[in-house]
Amino acid sequence: MIQANNLHFAFERTPIFNGLDLHIEHGEILSIIGPNGCGKSTLLRLLRGHLRPYTGDICWNNIPLTKMSFRNLARQVAMVPQTTHVDFPFTVHEMVAMGRYPHRQGLLSLAGNGDDKAIQEALALTDVLELAARQVTQLSGGELQRVLLARALAQNTPVLFLDEATSHLDIDHRLELAELLVRLNREQDKTIVQISHDLDLAAAISRRILMLSSHGEIVALGTPQQVMTATNLHRLFRVDLRVETNPYTGTPQITPLVNTAPHKLDHLKIHLFCGGGSGRILLRRLHLAQATLSVGPLNQGDSDHTTALALSIPTIEELPFQPYSAPILNQAREQITKADICVIATNWWGEGNLDCLDLALAALDLNKVVYLIDPQQKNDFTEGRAWRKIEKLQQQGAICFRNEEHLFEHLQAIQKS
Amino acid sequence: MLKTDQHFFSRRFSQFALLLSLPLAFYISLSSGSFGLSFNELTALLLAGPGETTEQVILWQIRLPRALLAGLVGAALSLAGATFQATLRNPLADPYLLGVSGGAALGAVAALTAGFSATLLVPIAAFCGALGTLLLVYLVARAHNCSPHTLILSGVMIGSLAGALLLFLLWQAPTEAARQAIFWMAGNLSLAHPGALSWSWLWIGSGLILLCLHAPQLDLMTQGEETAANLGIHVGRTRFVLFAIAGGLTAAAVALAGMIGFVGLVIPHICRLLWGPGHRRLLPFAALLGSSFLMIADAIARSVYAPAEIPVGVVTALLGAPFFLYLLQRNRGGM
Repeated sequence: MIQANNLHFAFERTPIFNGLDLHIEHGEILSIIGPNGCGKSTLLRLLRGHLRPYTGDICWNNIPLTKMSFRNLARQVAMVPQTTHVDFPFTVHEMVAMGRYPHRQGLLSLAGNGDDKAIQEALALTDVLELAARQVTQLSGGELQRVLLARALAQNTPVLFLDEATSHLDIDHRLELAELLVRLNREQDKTIVQISHDLDLAAAISRRILMLSSHGEIVALGTPQQVMTATNLHRLFRVDLRVETNPYTGTPQITPLVNTAPHKLDHLKIHLFCGGGSGRILLRRLHLAQATLSVGPLNQGDSDHTTALALSIPTIEELPFQPYSAPILNQAREQITKADICVIATNWWGEGNLDCLDLALAALDLNKVVYLIDPQQKNDFTEGRAWRKIEKLQQQGAICFRNEEHLFEHLQAIQKS
Repeated sequence: MLKTDQHFFSRRFSQFALLLSLPLAFYISLSSGSFGLSFNELTALLLAGPGETTEQVILWQIRLPRALLAGLVGAALSLAGATFQATLRNPLADPYLLGVSGGAALGAVAALTAGFSATLLVPIAAFCGALGTLLLVYLVARAHNCSPHTLILSGVMIGSLAGALLLFLLWQAPTEAARQAIFWMAGNLSLAHPGALSWSWLWIGSGLILLCLHAPQLDLMTQGEETAANLGIHVGRTRFVLFAIAGGLTAAAVALAGMIGFVGLVIPHICRLLWGPGHRRLLPFAALLGSSFLMIADAIARSVYAPAEIPVGVVTALLGAPFFLYLLQRNRGGM
């Protein structure tokens, strides 16, 4: 039905897709899931032809997308957009009637015989028949979404794209919509591609699920049972989810393991070395966990400096683009004596921040605990001097963690003991 | 908001009133001025046909062309305003938003200061200036992404560029030419060249028909570019066509009568508030209401300080703004 080969796409300089292949089969329900900003909507817009891929091609029924006319494409696929705002006060009926435009003929685009029936049916199926005379500017978000769905149904196309069409719906209408999609798929053989944040519903109605990572790569593509595993979901959303089989439907059912008591690290006094954005995650998470936090030295204008300033974290600061001066280093040394733990999140080493490693070595001498996050030899730009110090740190008892997540788990263990 | 039963105007009644307003406004326009004519005198003169008496000359050679001109200009501005508001999805859009006014004024003033006053060259220069600026704005915006925001921004910028050039021209122009230019910029229906009226019928009439043929596309354009494309519209081509028609109408109106403000902004709004945003109804109604409105405004402009005239733009704003505010009060929640 829809075949996409080797898609490359980027916004400005942020690459989204690097060689994505996807084949959407006739008559299937495909759900696309993934974290915010991973390119789900972009993928739909590429498939619909609103965006042009840099390279790669998209075919509908073996016809290249670029060779199809606007009207012809609108007879093939209807789209329910994410929008929940309209400017012009059309009535619901007028709005749904717009869906008939691609089927109208002639200079005047007058309503044809089938139009009224299609409009009424679409209004009824989406439960907005009673709203038909109301103005769309006065509807609630959920009502508007149903009207937009009705317009797409009135378009009467073999393919239906939905971009988070259920996000504003009540639970009853959400379930109804799910039923409606399944029915349209079964009775009219409609191909449905939807973006969904409702993982359970996606698992319940989809034949296949496409899971995209935050970099637009395909994590998994297959049946809900194949795709919806705890491992995949953890990889995707970085939270713990429990996947069970729904006893009634036999489809995977996802329960987030919500920790109602938020992580607290308020017994811990931590000093953080970072720079150039390497401390962004830790600054935020340690601050939220109420740890007693200090950071530095940092150059003014560094993105981590900006973050620390915004969160009112005590910061030892140096002028922009200056190497750390002796008084600043002394201040830092003093600050470290007040902390119990030093964390080195810095991920590259140059002449400018080499002194931080000496500070960390000094901290070890003072019986402080020192943690490193994923140090890499390739990021040492001091001809090995930094790396030798890092090795020395590790020999003297500094512990390395693969990422912030692991460090955080470790800190929680310390907090408890 | 617009529930017929609660509303002061029922929809039917207001449509009927609108149809009636055109002949009424026409009569008012013909009868008012420094030389007053009663309803009966007017009917008799109209039935008698053109002739040699003073009354006949005034009616047939001065007032009738002027009333027709006011009607045409009012219709053209309202239609252009409705089109720009829909395609730019902006309630503040008016026919002059995309730099058209600046360009037209620049053209006209250039012709005036070059000594071509009272010739057909002034409206032609204004017409070319208006369309030229619109084309420039369109090309600049298209080089980027042609979104409504880009179009409005480049329109405002190029418009102010033209405005600066205009001020420079006025500054170095001879006093008489500058006075004429300012008179022209305030909008004035007495300036039209007699030769211009004959072809403007055809021009504005075909603009009306072409726009009405595009009513469904205009409806869809209000939904945003992607949605319009989803529903089968070739957005780029449609936008260009609509701009060309609306630009042609605006340029014609400006060439005929200078810059008359407010009609193109407020008439489409009033029509939308009364009869909804569907363009199949909106366009003909806006043309009708715009015609009647400008004829009456012109009649007032001619009568208040007769035999002197106040600029008709002053009257359109004084009449239009309070009425619009009143409607807005009655219809909270929609534009």
